[in-house]
Amino acid sequence: MVVGSARIMNITRNFKLKRQQLQQCSRTLGFGSRKLLTVDGDAADGARLCRCRRFHTSREPRASFAKLSPQEVDSILRANEYNHEFSSGTTSVKSYDSNQLASNNPIEDTRSEASCLLTTGLLVGVFDGHGGGACAQVIAKRLFHYITACLLPPDSLKQYSASLQTPSPLDLIKSYNDKVQFVDDVRDIYRNSFLQFLRDLNDLNDKKNFEMHRALEDAFLRLDNDLSREALPKDDGKVNMKTLSVAMTGSVGCVAHIDGAHMHVANVGDCNAVLGVRTDTNSWIAKKLTLEHNTFNQAEVDRIVKEHPHNESNTVIKMERLLGQLAPLRALGDFRYKWSKEIMSSIVTKYFGDQMVPPNYYTPPYLTGKPDVIYHRLTPRDKFLVLATDGLWDIISPLQVVRLVGEHMSGKVTLSPLKLPRKNMKLWEINEMLLQRKEGLKTKPKDTNAATHLIRNALGGTEYGIDHGKLSQLLSLPDDVVRVFRDDITITVIYFDSEFLRHCPV
Amino acid sequence: MLSRCGHWNAIKRKCTARSISHSRNVLSSSNDGGNGLQIEHTTPPSSARVVVCGGGVMGASVAYHLAKLGWGNETVLVEQSRVGGGTTWHSSGLIGVFKPSLSQVKLTQSSIEMYRDLESKGLNTGWKQSGSLNLARTRDRMTIFRRMKSQSVSWDIDCELLSPEQCKQYCPMINVDDIYGGLWIPGDGVADPYETCLSIISEAQKYGVKVIENCKVKKVNETNGSVSSVETDLGKIDCEYFINCAGFWARGVGQLSEPFVKVPLHAVEHYYLHTKPIPGLDPSTPVIRDQDGYIYIRENNGRFLAGGFEPVAKPAFEDGKIPASSRERNLPEDWDHFHILLEQLLHRVPTLGGAVLDRLCNGPEAFSPDCKWIVGEAPEIRKYLVAAGMKTVGVSAAGGVGLATAEIIVNGETSFDMYELEVSRFLGLHNNRKFLRDRVKEVPGMHYGLIYPFHEFHTGRNLRMSPVYPKLREAGAVFGQVMGYERPTWFEPKYAESGESYDWSGKGNSIPYRIGYTNTFGKPPWFDFVAEEYAACRETVGISDYSSFTKIDLWSKGDEVVKALQFVCSNDVDVPVGSIIHTGMQNKYGGYENDCSLARISENHYMMIAPTIQQTRCKVWLQKHLPSTVAMSDVTSMFTSLCIMGPFTRTLLSEHTDTDLSPKNFPFFTFKMLDIGLANGIRTFNLTHTGELGYVLYIPNEFALHVYSRLLETGEKYGMKHAGYYATRALRVEKFYAFWGQDLDTRTTPLECGRVWRVKFDKGVDFIGRDALLKQRDEGVKRMYVQLLLEDHDLETDLWPWGGEPIYRNGKYVGMCTTTGYGFTFKKQVCLGFVENYNQSGDKQRVTNEYIISGDYEVDIAGIRYNAKVNLHSPNLPTKFPDVEREAYQATRDKNEESLVVTAIR
Repeated sequence: MVVGSARIMNITRNFKLKRQQLQQCSRTLGFGSRKLLTVDGDAADGARLCRCRRFHTSREPRASFAKLSPQEVDSILRANEYNHEFSSGTTSVKSYDSNQLASNNPIEDTRSEASCLLTTGLLVGVFDGHGGGACAQVIAKRLFHYITACLLPPDSLKQYSASLQTPSPLDLIKSYNDKVQFVDDVRDIYRNSFLQFLRDLNDLNDKKNFEMHRALEDAFLRLDNDLSREALPKDDGKVNMKTLSVAMTGSVGCVAHIDGAHMHVANVGDCNAVLGVRTDTNSWIAKKLTLEHNTFNQAEVDRIVKEHPHNESNTVIKMERLLGQLAPLRALGDFRYKWSKEIMSSIVTKYFGDQMVPPNYYTPPYLTGKPDVIYHRLTPRDKFLVLATDGLWDIISPLQVVRLVGEHMSGKVTLSPLKLPRKNMKLWEINEMLLQRKEGLKTKPKDTNAATHLIRNALGGTEYGIDHGKLSQLLSLPDDVVRVFRDDITITVIYFDSEFLRHCPV
Repeated sequence: MLSRCGHWNAIKRKCTARSISHSRNVLSSSNDGGNGLQIEHTTPPSSARVVVCGGGVMGASVAYHLAKLGWGNETVLVEQSRVGGGTTWHSSGLIGVFKPSLSQVKLTQSSIEMYRDLESKGLNTGWKQSGSLNLARTRDRMTIFRRMKSQSVSWDIDCELLSPEQCKQYCPMINVDDIYGGLWIPGDGVADPYETCLSIISEAQKYGVKVIENCKVKKVNETNGSVSSVETDLGKIDCEYFINCAGFWARGVGQLSEPFVKVPLHAVEHYYLHTKPIPGLDPSTPVIRDQDGYIYIRENNGRFLAGGFEPVAKPAFEDGKIPASSRERNLPEDWDHFHILLEQLLHRVPTLGGAVLDRLCNGPEAFSPDCKWIVGEAPEIRKYLVAAGMKTVGVSAAGGVGLATAEIIVNGETSFDMYELEVSRFLGLHNNRKFLRDRVKEVPGMHYGLIYPFHEFHTGRNLRMSPVYPKLREAGAVFGQVMGYERPTWFEPKYAESGESYDWSGKGNSIPYRIGYTNTFGKPPWFDFVAEEYAACRETVGISDYSSFTKIDLWSKGDEVVKALQFVCSNDVDVPVGSIIHTGMQNKYGGYENDCSLARISENHYMMIAPTIQQTRCKVWLQKHLPSTVAMSDVTSMFTSLCIMGPFTRTLLSEHTDTDLSPKNFPFFTFKMLDIGLANGIRTFNLTHTGELGYVLYIPNEFALHVYSRLLETGEKYGMKHAGYYATRALRVEKFYAFWGQDLDTRTTPLECGRVWRVKFDKGVDFIGRDALLKQRDEGVKRMYVQLLLEDHDLETDLWPWGGEPIYRNGKYVGMCTTTGYGFTFKKQVCLGFVENYNQSGDKQRVTNEYIISGDYEVDIAGIRYNAKVNLHSPNLPTKFPDVEREAYQATRDKNEESLVVTAIR
């Protein structure tokens, strides 16, 4: 049994428990997720926020005892490393480095990377689940099929559809680092949904012109719609608890489609894609391609407030969350924020209880899975793209990330600029600090995988270099408090082939 | 008063440390009522004669001097924010009189004089003659100090060499464990650029200058190539003159006109470290310069102010987006970058470690690509002057440059010889932003760097290259750069490439790109290579790339070009077609604006060959004086120029051409259009710039490789060698040939340098400078160009002369060397220079040949005097292959020997 399906099985089993136990279960889930505040999680969260603040003040570098040896730290950091190299000169992508570090147990982030087989291009995505990892896992496995299907020209689509009826069907994509598979019954449901989608596409295709932005949007929205349909009772009124429980969880995600010099990034929620650009003078510029869908994004807040009656303006976004609960303002899944009031009362309340219906739920849907699609034409100066979940961006800035990957490329260490820790320092004290930094600058990066390098520096970086004590402590926190200090982190760094891009036809 | 307070508040926000002095100042200005600075907030007048752009200390000084020369009511100064708010408010205020050249020294001395004068009138400039203590950590630095000490006689600077112990006495707080000694310059000091700026602006206002703050220049308009008006965001000002004193912003202001005015500047991060007050710090502490540690430190109102010039600077605002205001201009401090200086500061002044930091200020400064100030009239637009690129020492320059600029405006000229600082020294490439960005990384470091002879930049290279450059590189050339041009300095055959392939991409590792270096003040590492090249030029054949020389075609329909050139040139240009003449282009004082060769290609067509560094400057001079009927075209980039020199050149060249090269058919100092090899149209000059038998070939670029290859193939059997610039320079110094920009300048006349035989007073037409030269001919000259051969100099062990050495006659200082070189034939050091004749009271007397010949001469090299034999005429060097024509030709000689002039025989 592989990890992914175990996760779904697990949840399914949980939902078979009695209501009281279910509530406990969701509380545990809620506690783990900073992204989702459930009603009964509120009290716990309040307490946690306080604690959180207290912990933060004592987070200064200190001469802490090291709980883990350097070897142990390395093995934890490197457990989920993955790297893939593409044969040179054939594509604009040279290779990619990827890694994950779990905070939730099990991790709620997922990732996937695949080459398109019937069209050209590479798809890379990171997904951050909440309320459980189920939705993120399902999306990571299904979304790329939906996208590639949308990209197929009408003839190829027909050809592909036809081949599915034969003993040797064509493959749409070649996935890398895919270690999970669905359990049999859901696999059939998902397959049927996809076949229906292909039929619909065939019908539609003749009528509209291809447009990349819309193709990506359609793929996201269709998958989200399928997730909803699969969760709702069939004509016979029967509810599939597996698909329904998937629909109770949600996921944000960021997917890049890279084809030669053309790069499209589709983003839903608060993951980010940041481009590392090297200037003529070998300094680095971080070009943030995405804009998170959260309450820091005023346009997004305005959009949501505008979509609902004026009298809801104080409740639709509350405590910097959608309906006071959900931090990202767009997500796939999470149908508790999308379904009509009728479905909520007939299904959600029935199986999960009143507390699963968000407060002030008057004019759904409140949430959408529609992605922002950003186009960027790659130039030889664009050296790499970093896709990562908010676990990384919470800790370090895009520029730091780009500098760290840049230094990793060149094999040298850079440190973030020194800010003097206090006023009225004596010059010799400053000199001491600078000498220490100079030592730190001499060391070479420890990790061959850039994603690991990022995680190590994000967690253990100080103005003087990596502090093993800090790193060791953050990696050995007990399960019940670790989520306070760090979220799940998923990073994929995609390196571009500058030579290829230099000669790439328009 | 109100506005002054407001201003003070604005400053206070930025630099609290100086608030004490400012508040004192505000009080005093309220006491003497009306003496405070009244800044108008009105719109600018609709017309004025002069508009000065920039209210920093530079602009203030220009306005002040204009006012003093009587143009106060006709001058408007516009400042985009507040006066004194540019770079002046945070700069170090150091004033050091010792500068790399005499013109900069004189300008600085003039600045100090002005600050003294202002102080004596009770105006605050913050001038404090604290003296400066310069420290040497290396023997070579000590050599520089010794050379400065010996040079100080010529430049009239008081200074004293110190032992480490004496250094300690001058400033007890410094660590002297690792130093060889020091140089004490008592006349150095500090001034407060901000106070100075306010003081001179208020003085200027008294004389009627209008000062408009918060007024941004939007456009500078020209009419018929001359400034006509300035558009600001507060209105348009019709004007005659525009002065770009925008400092940090000067390059951008240069782009507000059509055509753009090139002001090549790029910002780099620049740091000023301010400490909190230090108890017991002696206010008379001298300025400490520890150049080998790249640092300086000074006392500043009871605190330390320290900084330096790091060897590798960090360009700022690389995207070319220069922030509009001073506030945005300040960048966050990069302590790691400053650390290199901090370490050295703590090393030199150990007690500094205990000082408490007040702030580290990162105020980017703009530097020019050659680390020199930028002054003078822009070549692009007449009556558009520039005074910028003061590279952190604006307060040193402001007084003198302000005076010189005001003199140019009011009198049309200045008494300062500033040609090496003039904005017309640049080409378009110098203003390329990326070139500047690369170059400025190494420019600030030059301030305190150990600058050896023939200094070369390492950035912005391989930019201008002649078509034969790859071949020269294959031949082992080591390159120097002049006006962006890669010119071989010498050749090292061991790096020569035998294979045929050349990797154009620059990535190939087979032929390393090598930049010339000397790295000593004694016998240079290239000596043996240059000796061989020299020998080839004298005894067999040498080939040299002269492509960088300025080449200009001048022509007209009728004889307008002849008439015009007769007026501009002092020699007679109306020579038979096919002749070549050397001529100066004199200014009205008889000084050299240009020294060039003119070949009469056809009746009304001349080709002019001028020094490389004159490419922009000589065109400006011609444009000013040629009528519109004369066409002028810069063909520098159209021709590759190869010079072959040596006794076998005639035979060599005849192998490749059908033309009869015998002296009868193709005499010395004539020109012919030749077919060479399979190519045609090669403008061939029968002369060399070094006095050897030889030819300079001006080859259309597409034929260059062909001609070069042919010459090289056949040259082999004659023992042909490549010769670099150092070899040709040695040749010309030994033969006593003067070069413009090195020996000749705008203040030197042909009579002073033995070139009066090239001046044709009786050519029947007037020419620029004729009257001055006639007057000088009657009155006699007060300085004379001489060649000195050092008698007892040991080539191997003694320090070499490199230019700038003082000359003594009968034990008395009489002048200074210009260029020097080793005479491989004489086997002696050869120094060229000017000798003067001072009477008891120091006034210059007439210099006669008898005066020159009757003296006993010595040249002082870093404190040691060497006996020297003096020459007034170019010597005839012994040769195995005497050439009658060459023997007769002496570049530098007396006026009486007119009969020796050779012209074309048709």
